[in-house]
Amino acid sequence: MKRKDISIPVEQPKRSNPLANVFDELMDFCRSRSMFMLHYCTGCGAIELPPAMTSRFDMERLGIQPMVTPRQADILLITGYVSIKTLKRVIMTYEQMASPKYVVGICSCTVNGGMYWQSYATAKVLKDYLPVDIYIAGCMPRPEAVIEGLRELMSDIKQGKANSWQRYYKNYDYYLGNQQKLFGDNWQTPTDIIAEARHYNLISEQTEGKHTAVLQQHQKPLEAFEARLKHQQGQAREQ
Amino acid sequence: MSLQHLLTELVLMPIIAFVVGLFLVLMMRKLGARIQRRVGPPLLQPLYDILKLYGKQTQISHGLIHEIGIVMAVGGYIAAETFLPVPGMNGIADKGGLVTLAYIMMVPSLGLAMGVGQCANPNGSIGISRALTAMFAYDIPFILVIFGVAYQYGTTSLTDVIAIQQQQGMAGWGVVQMPLLFIAGLIALPAMMGKHPFEIYVAPAEIATGPMVEMGGKFLGGLFIMQCFQYYTISVLFVTLFLGGGENWLTFLIKVFAVAAIPLSIAYVFPRYRTEDVLRMMWKWPVILGLLGLALVMG
Repeated sequence: MKRKDISIPVEQPKRSNPLANVFDELMDFCRSRSMFMLHYCTGCGAIELPPAMTSRFDMERLGIQPMVTPRQADILLITGYVSIKTLKRVIMTYEQMASPKYVVGICSCTVNGGMYWQSYATAKVLKDYLPVDIYIAGCMPRPEAVIEGLRELMSDIKQGKANSWQRYYKNYDYYLGNQQKLFGDNWQTPTDIIAEARHYNLISEQTEGKHTAVLQQHQKPLEAFEARLKHQQGQAREQ
Repeated sequence: MSLQHLLTELVLMPIIAFVVGLFLVLMMRKLGARIQRRVGPPLLQPLYDILKLYGKQTQISHGLIHEIGIVMAVGGYIAAETFLPVPGMNGIADKGGLVTLAYIMMVPSLGLAMGVGQCANPNGSIGISRALTAMFAYDIPFILVIFGVAYQYGTTSLTDVIAIQQQQGMAGWGVVQMPLLFIAGLIALPAMMGKHPFEIYVAPAEIATGPMVEMGGKFLGGLFIMQCFQYYTISVLFVTLFLGGGENWLTFLIKVFAVAAIPLSIAYVFPRYRTEDVLRMMWKWPVILGLLGLALVMG
């Protein structure tokens, strides 16, 4: 598969007000010192995270702590091979997170498929489907390597360089195209990325294209989830 | 008291409560880390978390009630702070009293219930129903304790309770006068703070943090601020009722942190009860102790 070069610049121009710049730097500093991670534990890399979090290496001293839902989290850790079925969940999880959000690919499998490079059931290169901020290669990387990678991410955030979440909005057509190649043309997530991009003024020429046109052909409006037990549904139908 | 003086106090008291609350949260996390033989977070970690959450660039709101609910949750505690006398500042404490405070301390839970209700997340609904059940469980011993203290000192005014205790010295403290009520309050304390072994409504591994499940960005930030206020309010109330309030800021803060350290250090060595067990336990042991204490006080 020939990969498209998607390196459009996403850095934000510095604001002219010096006080606003100080505020932005403070915010970037806070972001770098407080990272809530959501580990989507696929594959074998997940086993390296408990030692990194607990008393041996203690991530909390760097301000990194685990969170349980995507709404609360900042970092999405993908810790191993991503099967096609898993990738759907990963994408839905990623789209629910609040920006700025960061994706960390751990293990070789997320870089190039690793030992599953021949498999028909895995998505090989994670960055084709999601904007990955940092890869931590290894099979599997030890906790020291995980922490080293997260510190790298911290320094990127502090310098305001970790902006790849904007790339997902600005290049949505590319990512959606790759997703449609795997999941078929009727792939739709519960989050309307184009509307969000428009709302937060993150839209670019590459947000919409031929792939999003396919999506818009069959896109269904979202309905509220009806929380009912099965027998209640039956009763409702009878009435 | 001049109006200007009163307004200054009303602004200062919640701010002080927030700052002390930040350090209480830090103490909780540091204690947990030490018990688990870790280093723990740096000094300003709670502040970084809150600033970062408010600095999120996309905020996911589920509607107006979701936002009002968070405002109610934080606002309820801010109102409670103005009724809690601290050294040198009484705010409007002499206008209210124990009963007003007990009433206001329920507002945050109700606000949270409203806010979480609109998120329509099943985990959130289970969480909030558990939170209200827990409130139901700890409120019985809590009201018994409040009633006993009010009977002992013959007043529901917190300023008077503090003044009487400080006049009589350490022998007049609630903990010496009413030891059984003190123990009953101590058992209810972790439930009021929502910590283990009564942490039924957060339960990250079971219902994905319950009420917080759909909260991101500024909503979660609001809940973090609420947590700071919650720890502060409950510890200060306990200090006021049983430990003679504060003669000056130094002794006051020492007492507040010592009281908060009891449930927080218990929290990290115990697992969690189930909801019905919390209700059974809360309505049995602290209530029996509270009733006995009440009999001693009234006898």
